[in-house]
Amino acid sequence: MNRRQMLGAGIGAGAAALTVSAGQAQTRFRDLPEASSTDSPYTQVPSRPTTGLEYNPIVTLNGWSLPYRMNGNVKEFHLVAEPVERIMAEGMVGRLWGYNGQSTGPTIEAVEGERVRIYVTNRLPEHTSVHWHGLILPSGMDGVGGLSHPAIPSGKTFVYEFDLVKSGTFMYHPHADEMVQMAMGMMGLFIVHPRDPAFMPVDRDFGLLLAAYDIDPGTYIPRVSEMTDFNLWTFNSRIFPDIDPLVVSKGDRVRIRVGNLTMTNHPIHMHGYDFEVTSTDGGWVRPEARWPEVTIDIPVGAMRAYEFNAVHEGDWAFHCHKSHHTMNAMGHELPTVIGANKKRVTEMIRKHQPGYMPMGTAGMADMGEMSMEIPENTIPMMTGWGPFGPLEMGGMFSVVKVREGIAPDDYSDPGWFENPPGTQAWEWTGELPEHASNDSPATILTPRGGIRLG
Amino acid sequence: MSAADLWETALGPVPSLGISVSGLVTGDVTRSVEATVITSILDIATKKPRTKAAELSFRQAQLAAAGDTLALAHETRRKWIEAVGAYEAAALVGRSQSAADAASELAAELGTTGALSKADQAREHVFTAELSAEHADAKLEAQLAKEQLVRLMGLWGTGTEFYVPDSLPALPANAPNRANIERLALTNRIDLAAGRLDLEAVANRYRLNGQTRMLSDAEIIAGAEIEREEGESERAPVVDVEFRIPVYDTSGLISRRGKLEYLRSANNLAQTAIEARSEARAAYAAVTGKHQIARHWRDQVLPLRRQIDEQALLSYNGMLTSTFELLNDAREGLESQLSAAEAKKDYWLAEADTTAAVWGGATGEGASEGGDEE
Ligand SMILES: [Cu+2]
Repeated sequence: MNRRQMLGAGIGAGAAALTVSAGQAQTRFRDLPEASSTDSPYTQVPSRPTTGLEYNPIVTLNGWSLPYRMNGNVKEFHLVAEPVERIMAEGMVGRLWGYNGQSTGPTIEAVEGERVRIYVTNRLPEHTSVHWHGLILPSGMDGVGGLSHPAIPSGKTFVYEFDLVKSGTFMYHPHADEMVQMAMGMMGLFIVHPRDPAFMPVDRDFGLLLAAYDIDPGTYIPRVSEMTDFNLWTFNSRIFPDIDPLVVSKGDRVRIRVGNLTMTNHPIHMHGYDFEVTSTDGGWVRPEARWPEVTIDIPVGAMRAYEFNAVHEGDWAFHCHKSHHTMNAMGHELPTVIGANKKRVTEMIRKHQPGYMPMGTAGMADMGEMSMEIPENTIPMMTGWGPFGPLEMGGMFSVVKVREGIAPDDYSDPGWFENPPGTQAWEWTGELPEHASNDSPATILTPRGGIRLG
Repeated sequence: MSAADLWETALGPVPSLGISVSGLVTGDVTRSVEATVITSILDIATKKPRTKAAELSFRQAQLAAAGDTLALAHETRRKWIEAVGAYEAAALVGRSQSAADAASELAAELGTTGALSKADQAREHVFTAELSAEHADAKLEAQLAKEQLVRLMGLWGTGTEFYVPDSLPALPANAPNRANIERLALTNRIDLAAGRLDLEAVANRYRLNGQTRMLSDAEIIAGAEIEREEGESERAPVVDVEFRIPVYDTSGLISRRGKLEYLRSANNLAQTAIEARSEARAAYAAVTGKHQIARHWRDQVLPLRRQIDEQALLSYNGMLTSTFELLNDAREGLESQLSAAEAKKDYWLAEADTTAAVWGGATGEGASEGGDEE
């Protein structure tokens, strides 16, 4: 294997955004796989492998897969732990820590039965380590700094090497100064594809990690001492409205793999379908152990992969069901001003703050519609526009777009779904039927025979 | 030349020259009337030859009267600064109260919608109530300060209805450049002129004629023997600016009393000069220091407060903070403005003290500190 062959296995659609590290690093790491890097925050769809074993690559939402090279029978990767600037949405940069230019880090993809050798170069100002979450491997490769092996000092490169004994959905993250390094964005997916391509095949395989940050409005770097009160809830360190859509062709078998490295659970909900969890980070779920769901709670430090047949065309919301997790940074000490008449007080306040606008007196929807100047590097608490108006969302929210006739490797946004005639809610302009209105708080038992009481 | 002639040439009834209402109303607090008054008096007092004892004592009386005028002018100027400063402070407290009123109004409104408990409403209302007491206090203080000014200026009836500006003049770009303040004080101070005249009067009374040499104030204080022959004197401390004191030949004096009186006058004069030097240096240090402090408030603190206000509005816009927090930031900004106004007032007081240090009229207390005299 040489360098050229190794690159052949690399990025397809995102090749333009892929940069190879500078000459100095090449000399220094002459015998190492190249430390690839990307500055793009967009989904980069990997091309199918040309070396090593055959597999169906995963599409990492707003992410990419790490190029590899074959060295004999060993698949080699080079992870670089380093400070990065992640565009979390247009208009907001997070000064995070990540891997190979981005947070979250690139997805590592390999095949069951392969042996992997992963070089980890530490360009952080402090030591780090990499724990391979869910993988079965020797104790000394487990990546717990101080327990499995010495932590990787700043400026050093360590090598992890192990056999992939089973296929499944896994992830990697530091286990040295773990809380801080994860609060700074260090994590990535590790997907082990089945050796048998006929085992659990899907047409589209999506992956994402749930990551939470506390970046105060007007700032750039996460507060790493936060325990519970995070204000940015992300899919792969991206927030709505700039999380890429999950584009699917009608009739595809689709798998979505979600890992949770935040400090709280996330009930991930997808509209339009019922589906089944087919895998956890512990392994594949036997068919007789599955049950139908529309919301899957992803526990802390756990992963779930669910599958469905994309038979229903449309634009289907895909989000965490904790409603404050589909909001961007917001204040929690605000009094409710619904119903308040702010006319007089507005005049009084404008003597001191001429730019004062009364808000919230009819609910908070005006936030989604108004575009007032807010602190720098901050995305509004609720934002985003759809074909019919403001979406008033943020954080962990994207759209699964199921369309007829999308080409197999096409993940580009097909635009908004056009509802077929007669299939869209419409405004009723007559009077409400009697049975549809009630102004009494008392329990009303509907009598047999349909005669209405009260 | 008769005494009556002299009186006329010395610019008439001195006490009314100190400071006028009209000068204050235009806010021209910086204009020094002292210069015109004193220069003309000193010119006459020192340039013409004096032989008659009567004329000398008349001059002494004139200088004493001018000294009183300067003291009154100085005191009036300080009171004017304090009165205007008090009105400025009262206006700022009034703005704070208006911000608190808005918060109170919002609290009452949220009470009617059911969003704010009685306790939280009361917290907003009590703050406003306390501030309105403070505001009343500040307004009263301003009124009383104006009355003190009225008394000093001897006004009554409609004369008391003069207008006091809402705010002191803006801080000038630079503090007065008075690096030479010691020299200015030694040249211009009316008490030094009076001391020289005293010395002259003593010499005249005991018929000393022909001053033999000049000694500096420092030399005298350092103990140079006034009677010593020239060239024998000990080396005195070197000073940049000298205040020359004429030393007459006292060897021919028969009266020991006259000699002692002369020595005492010379020593008094030297002591006054030393004090004038110190007061001048202190006044200069105060005026430059207070200018820097006031400028710091204006150029460092207030811009930061404006930035806080701007950012507070942005985070209110983003529904990150509440209206109450927005108003609270505004109130804190007003507190800084109040401190800045206080610093500006201190500067103008120090500036007035500088004038007194150069021409005389300092009352001692507060003269070089430039602070309040409460
Ligand atoms: Cu959630």
